[in-house]
Amino acid sequence: MLCRGPWRRLALPPPSPGARRAGSGAAPGYEVLVIGGGHAGTEAAAAAARGGARTLLLTHRIGTIGQLSCNPSFGGIGKGHLVREVDALDGLCGRVCDLAGVHYKVLNRCKGPAVWGLRAQVDRGLYRDNMRKEILNTPLLTVHEASVEDLLLTEPEPDHPGKCRVRGVVLGDGSTVHAGSVILTTGTFLRGMIHVGLEKHPAGRLGDQPSVGLAQTLERLGFAVGRLKTGTPPRLAKDTIDFSGLEERTADNPPVPFSFLSKAVWIKPEDQLSCYLTYTNLKAQQIVQDNLHLNNHVRETTKGPRYCPSLEAKVLRFPNREHQVWLEPEGLDSNVIYPQGLSMTLPPELQEQVINSIRGLEKAKMVQPGYGVQYDYLDPRQLTASLESRLVQRLFFAGQINGTTGYEEAAAQGVIAGINACLRVRGKSPFIVSRTEGYIGVLIDDLTTLGTTEPYRMFTSRVEFRMSLRPDNADARLTLRGFEEAGCVSQQRYEQAVKMKAALEDGIATLKSLQFSISKWSQLIPEVHLSSNRRSPMSAFDMLQYPEANMEILARAIPEPLGKLAEWRELSERLKIEAAYEWCVVNQQQEIEEVRRDEALQLPEDLDYFAIDASLSTEVREKLSSNRPQTIGAVSRIPGITPAAIVNLLRFVKNKHQKAEKLKAFPQTDKCLPGNMYLEKAASQQQISAELSEEEMESTFVKTPV
Amino acid sequence: MALRRIRDPATAEPLDRGLVVWFPGPHSFTGEDCAELHVHGGPAVLSGVLRALGRLPGLRPAEPGEFTRRAFHRGKLDLTAAEGLGDLIHAETEAQRRQALRQMEGELGRLYQRWSETLTQALAHLEAYIDFSEDDNVEEEVLAQVDAAVRGLAQELGAHLQDGRRGELLRGGVHAVIAGPPNVGKSSLLNLLCQRPAAIVSPAAGTTRDVVEVSLDVTGYPVVLSDTAGLRDATDPVEREGVSRARDRLQRADLVLAVLDATAVPAEPAALGAAVGSLVPPAAPCILVLNKADLLGGEAGALRAACTQGPPVPPATLLSCKTGDGIERLLELLGQQLAQLCGDPLAGSPSLTQRRHSQHLGDCAAALGGYGRHRARDLGLAAEQLRLARRHLGRITGHVGAEDVLDIIFRDFCVGK
Repeated sequence: MLCRGPWRRLALPPPSPGARRAGSGAAPGYEVLVIGGGHAGTEAAAAAARGGARTLLLTHRIGTIGQLSCNPSFGGIGKGHLVREVDALDGLCGRVCDLAGVHYKVLNRCKGPAVWGLRAQVDRGLYRDNMRKEILNTPLLTVHEASVEDLLLTEPEPDHPGKCRVRGVVLGDGSTVHAGSVILTTGTFLRGMIHVGLEKHPAGRLGDQPSVGLAQTLERLGFAVGRLKTGTPPRLAKDTIDFSGLEERTADNPPVPFSFLSKAVWIKPEDQLSCYLTYTNLKAQQIVQDNLHLNNHVRETTKGPRYCPSLEAKVLRFPNREHQVWLEPEGLDSNVIYPQGLSMTLPPELQEQVINSIRGLEKAKMVQPGYGVQYDYLDPRQLTASLESRLVQRLFFAGQINGTTGYEEAAAQGVIAGINACLRVRGKSPFIVSRTEGYIGVLIDDLTTLGTTEPYRMFTSRVEFRMSLRPDNADARLTLRGFEEAGCVSQQRYEQAVKMKAALEDGIATLKSLQFSISKWSQLIPEVHLSSNRRSPMSAFDMLQYPEANMEILARAIPEPLGKLAEWRELSERLKIEAAYEWCVVNQQQEIEEVRRDEALQLPEDLDYFAIDASLSTEVREKLSSNRPQTIGAVSRIPGITPAAIVNLLRFVKNKHQKAEKLKAFPQTDKCLPGNMYLEKAASQQQISAELSEEEMESTFVKTPV
Repeated sequence: MALRRIRDPATAEPLDRGLVVWFPGPHSFTGEDCAELHVHGGPAVLSGVLRALGRLPGLRPAEPGEFTRRAFHRGKLDLTAAEGLGDLIHAETEAQRRQALRQMEGELGRLYQRWSETLTQALAHLEAYIDFSEDDNVEEEVLAQVDAAVRGLAQELGAHLQDGRRGELLRGGVHAVIAGPPNVGKSSLLNLLCQRPAAIVSPAAGTTRDVVEVSLDVTGYPVVLSDTAGLRDATDPVEREGVSRARDRLQRADLVLAVLDATAVPAEPAALGAAVGSLVPPAAPCILVLNKADLLGGEAGALRAACTQGPPVPPATLLSCKTGDGIERLLELLGQQLAQLCGDPLAGSPSLTQRRHSQHLGDCAAALGGYGRHRARDLGLAAEQLRLARRHLGRITGHVGAEDVLDIIFRDFCVGK
C-alpha cells in the first residue's frame, strides 16, 4: 500500500499561520470528492453538485453505478418515508424509481396515511441505466474510475475539532486528487469478505474487489471499527418456476409515484408484473440443521440484522413453522426471480436442495447462489449530525459504512453528507434535519448519538412524531429548507412546493371558515355518518375528519367555494390527510417545541466529560463520553441519563459559554494541539465490536512508512 | 396576590381558602406566565386541589427539574441560582428515585410493573403489525390480541382508580380521629404522635378551626390525624358547635382513636366495651387508648388484662402521654389497623408521589380509551394513543425506548426477509 499521506506529519509542531493558506481553498482540484458509486455515493455526489460544488465521484466501475446489489425493490414501510424525504431534497432515487418500477404498491393502505409505505419492485437494468444517466448528466459532477488507497491529510483547522484535515486522496496508481471535502461511501467494501458455505474470499460484492488500503488508513487514524454481516438470497430462473397454485400479489392501479415531481410513473398500470408468495416447510429446516457444520457465516458471532435474517437464522430461532418466500421479478424482460426470504450461505448444492423443497420451486434452477458478506463499519458516534468525522476534518461518511442496511437508509445519508460537504467547503453552517422534521433526522440522530451494534434499518416505530412526519408532507417539511439553506433544490421543485404549501394553507382556511350546525351538516352531507353531539357549529374541516368524508362529497354539498379545491386531486387528498391528523399534530406541538429547544442547545464538540467540573456521576460521564451527544436533546435520549444530570450539564455549558464570552476580550492563544494530544484522544475511542471474526485488528497510531 | 376561595371548576365545590399569586411573564421564575396557589397543607386539601387541577385540559404535573429547565431556556437563571437549584433537583429526583424503588417492591409496585409489561408488549405487537404485517409473517390475530390486552388493561386501570375506599385511602391518606371526653389527654396524644421522629409531620389548621389536623406517616401509611373537641353535652354555644363538628368528624372517620382516662374506667371488659361504644360509631374501626397510665395504682394489672381481652373491647393499650410509656404498643396497633384498612403493604410512599401516580394512571386510562376510538379508523392514530399511554405509565415505572419495543418485536415475531 502507498502511504504518502502527510498524516505522518501529525507529530510535527503546530504549523505557522501561513501554512493554512495552502489548504483546499487555494488548491486546484475538486471542492467535493465522493468515494463510492452506490446509493449513498450517487446521492452525495449529486447533492454536492446541485449545491454548486465542483464534484468528483470515484468508483471502481462506472458500469456498477446505481447497482441494486441485493433486492430488486425500493421503499417499504418507513423506507418509503425516507425515499420521499430524499426526493423532497431533490435527491435522485425517487425519480429514478418512477422510471424503473415494474410493480408499484403502497403498503399499509388500511392503517392510515401516516404509516403508508410506498414501495416498488424495480427493473435492475432500468434503475442502473437511469441512475447512471442522471449521474453522468449532472452539471458540475465528474465521474472517474479509480480505486482509492489512502487519504491525503494535513494539519487541522484551528476552529474545528479533529486531529487532522483531509485534503484529497491517493489513488491506486499512486496519483493524488485534491478536494475540499471527501465523502466515504464504500458500503460493504471495507475489508469485505464473501462467504458461501465453508468458502470465503475477499470481495465487496460478488465480482468486485474490497477496499483494504482505506480500511487500514482509517484504523490507523484511530477510528473505532466494528464488524457486521449481511446476506443475499440465491437467484432463480423464472421459466423453471411453477407459479400455478401460488398466491399472486398484483400491483396498485393506479400506481403511486415516489417523487413529488412525477405526475405518473413510466409504466402503464396494466403492464405491471405480479409477485408471488410461497412458503418454506420442515424439509428446508431439516437441511439447514443437518448442515450447520458447513456454514461458517451462520456459526460466527458477527452481528447480522435481526430484521433481515437469513433462512438459517429464521429456522433456528423460530423452528417448526412455515416461513414466507416472496418471488419477486428482477425486471420486465429478466428471466431472474429474487426469492425474498431465502437469504442463505449454505454450500450451493445444498441451497439448491432447499429451493427444490419449496412448493412451486420443485424444478427451479438456481442461477446464482446466495452468499453472506462480512464487512467493517465505523462507529457512527464518531460523526457529527452533518455526518462529518470528529477525528478528521472535512471527511464525511454515508451509507452502509456507518452501520446501516438498506438502499433508502444509504441514500438518505448520502444526500445529507453531500449537502454538508458542500456547505463545509463554503464555510457555511451545516444542514441538520431534526428528529422533529424527518425520518432522516431520526436515522442520523440515532446513529450519531446511540450508535448501532447491528445493521440499522428504519422503522416507523423509531419515530416519535410519526403522525407529523408523513410521506404526503415531506416536501412541506424539507423542500423549502433544502432550497433556502442548502441550495440543493431546483427552482422548479421549490416553486412547486411553495405553491402546494400556499394552496394547503388557503384550503384549510377556507374549510375552517365554512361553519354550520351539526343538523345542517347532516342535511348537507347525508352520506357521512355524523356522531357528534356538539352544540356549537362545526367547520367543513371538522367534517373532513370523518372516515367517509372527502373533498368530493363536500364540494357536491357546497360547490362554491369548495368545487375549485376538489378539482385538484392531489390537493384534495392532502387536505383530507391534514384534517384527519390535525388534532394529533396540534397535541404534539408542545412536545415538538421542547425537543427542538433541546436540540438547539449545542454541546461543545471537544468536551472532555471526565475533566469537566460539573456534578456528574462517573457512570453518566462514561455514557456521555462514549456517545458524544451534540445537543442537550441528544443527551436526553441516551439511556440512563437522569434529569438531574441534564440540568447539571446545562449549567456547565452555560457557565463555560459565559466565560468564553469574557475571554474574547483577551488575545487568543494558539488552539492547535500537538500531535500526541490528538493521539491520546484517538486512543480513548474504543473498539466497538469484540466480535472480529477474521484478522485481529490492531490500532496503532504511531506510524512508520512502508 | 389575593386571598381567595378555591373552588373545583367542575363541581364548584369549595376546596380551600388560600393565597393566589399571579406572576406575569417575563418577570416570573421561568419567564412564562405563572400562577401559584398557596393552600393548606392537609393531604385532603392538597389532593382535592391537585385532582381538580388535573382535570383541567392541558394541565399536567411538572417533570423532575422541568421548572429549572424552563427557566434556563428562557435565560432566567443566573449561575448562583442554578447552582442551588441543581442540587435541589438532584436531591428531589434522588429522593423520588429511592421512593419509587421502595414502592416498586410492594404489591402495588408489582401491579404497576405488570401493567407496564402488558402495555409495552401490546404496543410492540401493534408496532410490529404496522411495520411488518404487509409482507411478513405478522398475522391479523396479533391485532385482536392487542385489542384484548388494551381492553383488559383499561378495565383494570379503571377499577383501580375507582376502587373506592382502598384506593382513596392509599391516595388521600387514612382519616383517623382522636375522640373522647374532655381532658383525657387527646391533644397530648396528638402532640406525642407528632413528636415521634419517625413520623413525617406537617401541621396545619383544618378547614374548620376547631379541628386540628396533622399528616403523619405511620409505618409507611399516610394518615391524616384530627384532634377534636371533647365530647360532652356543652352549654356554651361555641363549644356546642365544636362538639357537633367533632361528632360529624367521627361519623366520617376511617379509624377512631378513642381516648379514655385510665384512672376513671371500669376494668371489667363488658363495661369497658360499653364505654367505648357510647363514644364511637358502631361500624368504625377503633383503637382504645387508656391514657394517664402513669397515675394508675394496683388496678393497672386488671386493665392491662382487659386490653388484651378482645371483643367487646377493641384493640387497646395503656399509655402515658406524660412519660411516653406504651407508645410503641400504640404504634404497633395503629400499624395493624392501617394494614387492614389499606390492604396493600405499601412501603413508604408519601402521599405526594401517590397523587402524581393517580394523575398519570388517569391519563394512561384516558389514552387507552382513545385507542378504542381510533382503532377502526386509523391504526397510526390508535398506536399514538398507546404510545401516549405508555409514556404516562412510564412516568411511574420508568422510560421505555424504541429499542425496547423493537426487542419485543424481534423476540415475538419472525419478521424480515
